[in-house]
Formats: sequence, structure tokens, C-alpha cells
Amino acid sequence: MSTTVTGTPAARTARPRMLRGLTWLVLRQHRTTLFCVLGLTLLGSLWIVYQRGQLNDVLAAAGWPEKSVPLPVVGEGYSRLTSLLGLLPGILAVFLGAPLIAADQEQGTAQLVTTQSVARRRWLVAKLGWCLLITLVACSVLSAVFTWWWRPHRSVLPSHWMDSSAFDTTGPVLPALALFLTAAGFTIGILVRRVLASMVVTFVFCVAAQTAWGMYRPLLGTARTLTYPLDDPLPSRLEDAYELDRWIGSADGQLYGWGSCAEATEKATNACLQEKGIVNNVFEYLEYDQMAAMQWAGAGILLAGTAVLTAFALWWASRRSL
Amino acid sequence: MADTSDTGGSPGTWALEARGLGKRYRRGWALRDCSFRLPAGRICGLVGPNGAGKSTLLGLASRQIAPTEGALRVFGVPVDDPGVMPRFAFLGQDKPMYKRFTVAETLRLGSELNPGWDAAAAERIVRSGGVPMDAAVGTLSGGQRTRVALALAFGKRPDLLLLDEPMADLDPLARDEMGTLLMAEAVERGTTVVMSSHILAELEDMCDYLLVVADGRIRMAGDADALVPAHALVTGLAEDGGLPAALARHTVIEQRVQGRQFQAMLRTDGPLTGDWQVAEPSLEEVLLAHLRSPDAPALYTPGARIETEGTRTA
Repeated sequence: MSTTVTGTPAARTARPRMLRGLTWLVLRQHRTTLFCVLGLTLLGSLWIVYQRGQLNDVLAAAGWPEKSVPLPVVGEGYSRLTSLLGLLPGILAVFLGAPLIAADQEQGTAQLVTTQSVARRRWLVAKLGWCLLITLVACSVLSAVFTWWWRPHRSVLPSHWMDSSAFDTTGPVLPALALFLTAAGFTIGILVRRVLASMVVTFVFCVAAQTAWGMYRPLLGTARTLTYPLDDPLPSRLEDAYELDRWIGSADGQLYGWGSCAEATEKATNACLQEKGIVNNVFEYLEYDQMAAMQWAGAGILLAGTAVLTAFALWWASRRSL
Repeated sequence: MADTSDTGGSPGTWALEARGLGKRYRRGWALRDCSFRLPAGRICGLVGPNGAGKSTLLGLASRQIAPTEGALRVFGVPVDDPGVMPRFAFLGQDKPMYKRFTVAETLRLGSELNPGWDAAAAERIVRSGGVPMDAAVGTLSGGQRTRVALALAFGKRPDLLLLDEPMADLDPLARDEMGTLLMAEAVERGTTVVMSSHILAELEDMCDYLLVVADGRIRMAGDADALVPAHALVTGLAEDGGLPAALARHTVIEQRVQGRQFQAMLRTDGPLTGDWQVAEPSLEEVLLAHLRSPDAPALYTPGARIETEGTRTA
């Protein structure tokens, strides 16, 4: 009875109906938001394609990669783009996620819809499902296009691979982060039941979550260590590695803090090194070839969080009166 | 005590059947111990002061609120069964609708979400009020909005129509128009209607069944025509500053002693004999007496009452 709602073909409607049932309702209700998100995705992608073309021209003129190219090769456009991509998950969470159910609760339209012939859970599934799908599509497209630009050119681009401007904007992380924050947004909206209040709380949550995400990012990979002679320079293959820690060590493997023999004079330093038998530099790091695995691990955590939040939101909203 | 399984006929006979129904919020019971039944095809007024539990009762019947205790059946089907959804239509106090939708889109919402949608009826109701189909709902007047909301409700072809304070925000002209529309549509289809109001006069002309709630309890339930004759307004000389002992066999709903005179609202049990002035009260007087005296026993006309273990004897 409530499992299938077939729109009775009204004789009067001349236009054939493309969308039906809850799909029509959800997309009609969020028409403006949908067009904004799709427009942003399209314009953002075109902008990336344009900037990539410009960069390729500059690099071709300089003979890169055979010859080195004077940095920076990108202007403010690049930093604006990466900050926009960094903000996108939060924007979606605050403007799409938070009001998704809260607006219906505040304006009473949740009551209107749930007293028709569809069960409340089906309506919630349609709302949350479409919201997540649009977020996924928009962010996947932007992430794919940006990755296609960034990855081959990363050596000349200003972001280090562990910076949030590269790690969080490429690969699976951008869509996963956006899904997680958007799910947090609608969950907060369902709990708070007020549009403005839930948008504020979601904003604060996004800032906190993204700060924590940045702090714990190095834990996504397994640290590697490299031991090399004390007087040698850092091996060149570690130039774009992400440094976790640095020690000095003796031949038998005993580690000392990086500054433990930093004395006022060279003589004193040497004496200290001699005394402790320090012969090696020990470098603990994450390497670029770990990036993809770290991104997928992080995306997995975020997607699990999304699933938990969505399940909670569905359970909570089906149990309580809206 | 009657057999609890006895519904007095086929399950469809009763539009609503409540047994020991109760709903508790964090701040206390909004509705408690509520047992009654409403025969199908009646126009029922749900009357009571603000905060009496009217909206809670309608919320329970329209599946928006889950009961804390007890059971409610709609045409014999438990209200938590999704199968009751197409059978009722609900019109909330603020008549919530999507403000940016046009009238036509609002009706399309009805057709997309209801399997038995009656597009012709819904459009007829809208057009008969001269409401433009391409106007945004947010730009309509209160009366026009109510008309669209009623079109949405009747388009669902419900057997039971639940209206929460349907006339509250309407001017007298629109109120009269909506009343006429509502009665015409409901009578034509035999729809059972439950509408709430805290103003009895608003419902008195339309309703043939009454459900009076106060402080979360049923105070009266039954035929509007049978409720009043059960009462008598008695005036006479007081005895020892109180009611005459001869009146003790009747149920006293409310009494007032002024000097040597008393006035009492009685639920009569047998003939009234004595040197008193007996008058038949108006419906409003009966109602007010019951609302002012929360301790007076609740009144059910035959058929409206359900005996359950959960019900305290009134």
C-alpha cells in the first residue's frame, strides 16, 4: 500500500512526467539548491580545465620537465581554487545538509508529507539519499578533475601532498569528507529542528571536524624510517616526504633527540657525539607513494562515519515525531 | 464489564476506536486513559480548552505521534499499520504547505504521494474558489490556502478527515465558505470528519457527534443530540446551605449556592420530583459545567463507550 506510489496519470497534464513520486517531490523542493550545486560543479570543473591549460602552456614554453621552471608557475587562481575545494564540504554541509530536514520540521511540511500515503521512513530515505547522491556526484567530479590536474604537476605546484589543499581535495577524500560533513549536517538539523540554529551548529562542527581531521591525518599511514650517515645530506628521494620526526642514533641503534648534542661550540658538540657514539641520522617520514593508500583509508573512515550518522538520523527521525 | 473484543459489528463500523490511549511527554501526560469510539460517517467535534489534548489526539490518529500506552484503531486497523495511511487525511493547525510550490504543484504532490488520488475533485475544489492554479502557495490569502489544503485533503479520497482547528485563522466570510465546502464534500462521500476547536459555537451547527476533552481526559463522548437531554439545570431553595438531599441520587456536575437559592447542573437518573425549577440547559452550558468541574464523572452516550481493563470506571 505504501510501498509503491504510482502517480495516477492525470488526463490534464499534457507534459509527460519525467520524475515521479518522492523523487519528484525532493528534487522539486530542492530545485534551487540542486541547480546551484550542479552549476558550481560545472563552473569549477571548467575553471580547473582552463587553469590546467594555462599551466601546460607555461611549462611547455619553459621546456619542463627536461628543464627546471622558475617557481611559482601558478598565480592566485590556484590558491583560490584549492581554498574553494577545501571549503566545499563545509558549504554543502551548512547549506544543503543542515536545512534538509530541519526546514521541513520548522515549516511543518514534514507533517504535510508524512500524512500523505507514504511512510515517513520512505520519505526520509528519499531526502537523505538524494542529498548524499548530489554531494557525491558534485564532489567526485570536482575531485576527479582536480586530481587530473594536480597529480602530474605536483612537483611544480605549491601544495605539498600532505597539505589539506592537496590531500583533502584529490582522490576519494573530497567526496568522502563532503558526505561525512553533509550527513553530520542533516543529523544536526534533525536534532535541532531549527534551520538557522542547525546551520550555525553545523558550521562549528565542520570547523572542529576539519581541524581534528588535519591533526590526525599522519596517523593514516604507517611511518617509515631511514637511517643514513650523520654527515651526509638528506637523501634526495626524501625531498617530498612528509617528516614525522628526526633523531640521531648510535651504531647499535640507540636513538637520541635531534638536538641532544646541540652544544654552544663545535668542539663540545663533537665531544658529545663521540661520547654517545652517534654516527647516524634517523629520519621518520611518510612518502608520496603512501598517499593513495592513506587517502583511501581516510575515505573509508569518513564513509563509515557517514553510514553511522545516516543510520542514526533515520532511526531517530522515524522514532520521534517530526 | 463488556467483552473487549466486542466492537459491536464489523470492524469498519467504527471510524476511530481508542482503548486506554495515552501519550506522555517529558512535561507530563498530554492524554491519558482515553477510551471511546466514533461511528463511521459522523461529523465529530473535538472540543476542549487550549492544551486539553485535542492536537495530541489528532496527532495520534494521523500517525504523527506514537502512543505511550493503549491502542487506537482506524476503521478497525491498528494505527501503526502503514495500511491506514491512505484512509485518512489530516489538515494541521497551520495548514503547512510548500510556499514556493504553485497550486498546481501542490496538487501534483497529492497525486504523486497518494495511490487513490482524485485529481478531478481536487481541481474542482480549487477552481470553485477561483484560486489561480499557477499562483505560488505563499502568495495566497488565508481562505485560499485553506481551500487548497482542503483540496489536497479531499483529493486523497479519505474515509476519515482529521482537521486541527481548521477555521482558526479565517475571517467570518471565509469561515462560512469553508464550512459549506467541507460539509458538502463530506456528506457527498460519506466521509467521517473529526474537527477540533476550542470554540464550541464554531462546531455546534456542523457536528452530530461530540468528543469533549479537558486536562488530557475524555469528559464527554457521544451523540450531540443525546448529550444535552441527559442533563437538567435545576434551581430551587437550598437546604442547610447546600443541595437538597433528594437530589443526591442524581449525578451533580456543578452546583452553586447563592443566599437561599441553589442552582445545579445534574445528570439525571430517573425523574426529578420536587419543588424545583427544571430547565433544559444549552449544549454550551453543559459543556462549560463539565469543563469547570474536572472531578465530575465523564459522560458517554451508548455506543461511544469502550470498557477496558485500563479504563477507570467513571
